[in-house]
Amino acid sequence: MATVTLRGIRKAYKDTEILRGINLDIAEGEFVSLVGPSGCGKSTLLRIIAGLEGPTAGEVLLDGVSVSGTRAADRNLSMVFQSYALYPHLTVAENIAVPLRMRRLNRWQRLPLVGGFMGGAAARSIAADVQSAAEMLEIGPLLDRRPGEMSGGQRQRVALARALVRQPAAFLLDEPLSNLDAKLRAHTRTEITELHRKLGATFIYVTHDQVEAMTMSDRIAVMMGGQILQCDTPARIYADPCDLRVAEFVGSPRINVIPAEADSAGRIAIPGCTLPLRHGCRAALRLALRPEALFLTAHDPKLRGEVVHVENMGHEFVIQIAVAGLPSRLVLRTAMPAAIGQAVGIGFDPAQALIFDAEGRRCRDVAVTQGVAA
Amino acid sequence: MFAALKHIVLLLGGFVVLAPFAVMLSYSLKSPAEIERGTGGFFGAQAPMVDEMCVARSQPDRAALDAARAASPDLTDDAILSRLDTDRREACSMRPVVFNYTKAFTEAPLMRYLLNGLIVTLSIFVIQVVVALPAAYALAKLRFWGRDAAFALVLFCLLIPVNAVALPLYLGLAKLGLTNSYAALVIPWTISAFGIFLMRQFFMGVPDDLVDAARMDGMGEFAIVWRVMLPTAIPALIAFAIFSITAHWNDYFWPRIVITGDRDLFTPPLGLREFQAGADGSLYGPMMATATIIVIPLIAAFLLAQRKFIEGIALSGMK
Repeated sequence: MATVTLRGIRKAYKDTEILRGINLDIAEGEFVSLVGPSGCGKSTLLRIIAGLEGPTAGEVLLDGVSVSGTRAADRNLSMVFQSYALYPHLTVAENIAVPLRMRRLNRWQRLPLVGGFMGGAAARSIAADVQSAAEMLEIGPLLDRRPGEMSGGQRQRVALARALVRQPAAFLLDEPLSNLDAKLRAHTRTEITELHRKLGATFIYVTHDQVEAMTMSDRIAVMMGGQILQCDTPARIYADPCDLRVAEFVGSPRINVIPAEADSAGRIAIPGCTLPLRHGCRAALRLALRPEALFLTAHDPKLRGEVVHVENMGHEFVIQIAVAGLPSRLVLRTAMPAAIGQAVGIGFDPAQALIFDAEGRRCRDVAVTQGVAA
Repeated sequence: MFAALKHIVLLLGGFVVLAPFAVMLSYSLKSPAEIERGTGGFFGAQAPMVDEMCVARSQPDRAALDAARAASPDLTDDAILSRLDTDRREACSMRPVVFNYTKAFTEAPLMRYLLNGLIVTLSIFVIQVVVALPAAYALAKLRFWGRDAAFALVLFCLLIPVNAVALPLYLGLAKLGLTNSYAALVIPWTISAFGIFLMRQFFMGVPDDLVDAARMDGMGEFAIVWRVMLPTAIPALIAFAIFSITAHWNDYFWPRIVITGDRDLFTPPLGLREFQAGADGSLYGPMMATATIIVIPLIAAFLLAQRKFIEGIALSGMK
């Protein structure tokens, strides 16, 4: 178990800069997700932490000690790969034993055939550790199989067992669930979270799936364009994003973005109405509203539109509404069904609106002014 | 219609390839007379034949003659001689197939040649693998300055015909005093550009994650080559083994150049020459028997490895 600290990590291939100065402090036993769209540099960052790639600038500290010159093998980190990367020619038991064999046995004891006679106590302790790792992940009956004879979910468990068998300082997981089907993914998500609780180890988890990040993490680092836009708890990332890109990336259905403008008095207006909100100065703004912040109302609606699409999710309806003057449809969640083509009014509590400036930065100097008529 | 034509062409091709083998096998079964006259069908009549050399070698000496006289005193010397002669001819008569195959082993130290062939081809293959696998791994999976240039050189080496470098190679070995040794047969072939190329192409298809996982598990780069890459590359390795072993088991050119006197170092193809210079010119049967014995290990190895071999080719072609 260890703290992981990143100081000014930069990475460039030829002329393209993949990472532009990453700073991150990960506490002992914390579960941190690196989330972002593909190409944002999150996997590169994980590989730099692992030592599989070197940063162009900056350093990685494990427990406060720089590991810049340390090989991947000597950093005592475990990694789970998207493709599981199990050794195809070894059985499950042998796969799990590899990291232990490489550490606890010497060159001669690792030799095929003859090595078997020299292992002795070390070999027995390896077998015991493999057994307990297999039991923890409930793959005991699979120990004699080869990776080719197993399903994706089973391979995933073997990869996890191989990662945890040597009790590393931290676990690095690179999109470990993206090759599983939806049902298994939800199930494994729970299992990995429980595993984290049980082990109390530091987990760094890379994913492009914001649902995984939201459901599993203590903190989420949202990455885009080689930078961490925001690193915070899932609740704050969702409710209080500091960047429009973060707000748009997290949450499904996507957050609604409405163009807005602050007039010379600082009053914020959207097409069709002026809101009881006051911004510091005159500027082009954007108003972001979560789908659950919108509601259908006949009484004094702030926006009017026509229902163009309805998705029945069972426990709720997701309704897409075309509003004249807005570039994109509004999406809202409601318990009441609506008919396609129906004209509806949309209301929301202005206090729930997130205001961003033209560059997408969050404007926090927004005051709700009671009594200003719409 | 087109399919039928295709099969006819394939059948013709197969016939052209197989015909020499059929002739070899047939001759190895027949008597010299049948070979000369072209009679006896594929298997020959297998009528007992007399080995004249065996008869000539076992002329009765005086002691044998005396013993025969004592055994049957009522016969004239001529009668005894002719009876001994008949006995000898009977002892020296055998079926052609037996004659050919025993001759193959007695006329020349064929077992020794086969052993030499085995030592040389296996040494070449093992050293080729020891060199080619790390080289191919570096060219496929490691990033270093000049990698592409190094790979271009490997490709360039594929274009150099063996015969073009034979003379400098020979001179080099001669200066080192290595001609007429196993080393002369093995050393020039230990670095196989083809092997490096083939394995590199195969390694390109091995996922990078597997290499990274091995690094995380604590393996060094050489450990990765032998413990991860080698086991996954078995099909490609078998394909390479077939190419390498066939080429060097059958090689006549190079052993003919560097093995100039010592028959103990002859490889099987050199051994075939022993029958060419026969003064009576009638040793085609044993010669073909020798040839058959030489190709059998290859055919057996190919049949054993056939499935893996084709898999290996298919895999390396896919990626």
